[in-house]
Amino acid sequence: MVDIIAVWTAVFFTLGIYSILYRENPWYRIAESVYLGVAVGYGVSVDLLYIRNQWSGQWSASAGMMLLFAIVMVIGILWYGRFNKNTFYLYRWPLAIVVGTGIGMALRTVIFAQFLEQIVAQTKTPFFVAGNMGTTINNILIQIMVPSVLLYFWFTGTARESAPMKVVEKIARYTMMAGFGSAYGYTVLTRYSLFIGRSQFLLGIPPNDPENQLAFIAIAFIMLASMIGWDLTHKTTPEA
Amino acid sequence: MSIMEKINNLDRRIIYLLAWIFVLFPLIFPLGLPIPISSDARAWHSYVENNVNDGDTVIFSPMYGTSGMPELFPMTVATMKHLLQKDVKIVVLSFWTEGPLVFTALLRQVNPADFGYVYGVDWINLGYVPGSETAMGALATSFQNTVANDFVEGRPLSNFAIMDNIKTATDIDLIISFETGTPGASEWLRQWNTAYGVPMIVGCIGVSVPGMIPYVNSGQISALMPGLTVSAEYELLLQKPGLAVAGVDAVSTSHLLVVLLVVIGNIAYFMTRGDEK
Repeated sequence: MVDIIAVWTAVFFTLGIYSILYRENPWYRIAESVYLGVAVGYGVSVDLLYIRNQWSGQWSASAGMMLLFAIVMVIGILWYGRFNKNTFYLYRWPLAIVVGTGIGMALRTVIFAQFLEQIVAQTKTPFFVAGNMGTTINNILIQIMVPSVLLYFWFTGTARESAPMKVVEKIARYTMMAGFGSAYGYTVLTRYSLFIGRSQFLLGIPPNDPENQLAFIAIAFIMLASMIGWDLTHKTTPEA
Repeated sequence: MSIMEKINNLDRRIIYLLAWIFVLFPLIFPLGLPIPISSDARAWHSYVENNVNDGDTVIFSPMYGTSGMPELFPMTVATMKHLLQKDVKIVVLSFWTEGPLVFTALLRQVNPADFGYVYGVDWINLGYVPGSETAMGALATSFQNTVANDFVEGRPLSNFAIMDNIKTATDIDLIISFETGTPGASEWLRQWNTAYGVPMIVGCIGVSVPGMIPYVNSGQISALMPGLTVSAEYELLLQKPGLAVAGVDAVSTSHLLVVLLVVIGNIAYFMTRGDEK
């Protein structure tokens, strides 16, 4: 019984969110609001669970640890200072700590992980790979395109106006357009993959519950009938 | 109004309806289109097959929420099945709040006990670790200080035999991360790969692929699983067809629809451009 309720609830909220494709409507509003509430509630609960485990696991072991834990908690509570004009300045302390720590942690290795390693990889890319024409062409394109795009963003000096630079700029533009096209293609793949996954759920394709199919048909019918019926009886045309 | 003008002013709901038809039809009536195996799928399969040795310790990290499940869940399930065929130690954890939910859903399909894996001895679930990149850095220096209790039983890590030999990042042989965004591969790279030399393989959504390729070319990411279609190929390589294989027909038809719409839209635009002037 619990499983059936869960299935029908999941199908209801899936279709509630998709109902925005027809137009703005109360089904969508309900699904959106409940989703936001549940997501925030879940996030808060798992964070509190982590804090509780930290307390019982190690920070309650000695008075000194307890004091440190209390100090951290107080700093954490300062986040809420931003909701009041008089205490707004207090929230800058936890913000400064989080930003400072985050940047410090990232800067430790970012120069190696995301800068030097890429330069090394670029320089190690061979122009010619024996017996592999595809890789050879790919590598030659990389060796031409990467420096071209880097030069495209070099804005100073009179050399930018020179004839060779015009050619480089054109190569760079084509390279970036190809990159944007690739990104767009992958974005379409992702969006449709999400839709396909949800469709498989609605159709009850294994390992999803076959009960989903009945719920899909029934709830879709009710939602569509209510929206189209409302539009017909009130003689309104949903915005295109 | 000419047909071309009508196409230019097409009601967006018609396009949504077409999208539903192009996706639902192949799911209800599978077309059985051929699925060629790409080099990405082969590289991932080969890495797990040949580079993960018995006795290795692997971090298995679903770094995504329920919204990423349609694309990433099939590859997560398939990789877990592949791993469980080996004799490795598996540490499950996530820096995303919904990561434990995803893994709980995975356990409904794959039971490690069926493969002879004992909880706390061969695998452990540490659940969600808040703190993003900072927490990743902290975990690398000490598992025990960063995570107090396990996620399943809520007991201290010292109670589990598997954690006796897992203290810091140097005790980990591989990170397998499935992700939709931040924190994700970049953070793993900075805090674990570059800092401690821990190899990593990454499964990601299609949107992230262009940003991941440079890391694959540089060898920082040892294998990449880009999106649903490669998941399907991997499922075929494992001879365990699942949701990805079932959905790949719909990927083809839906992309065909997008191409058709782009072509028709462009034709309509160029044919009516003169009229607007």
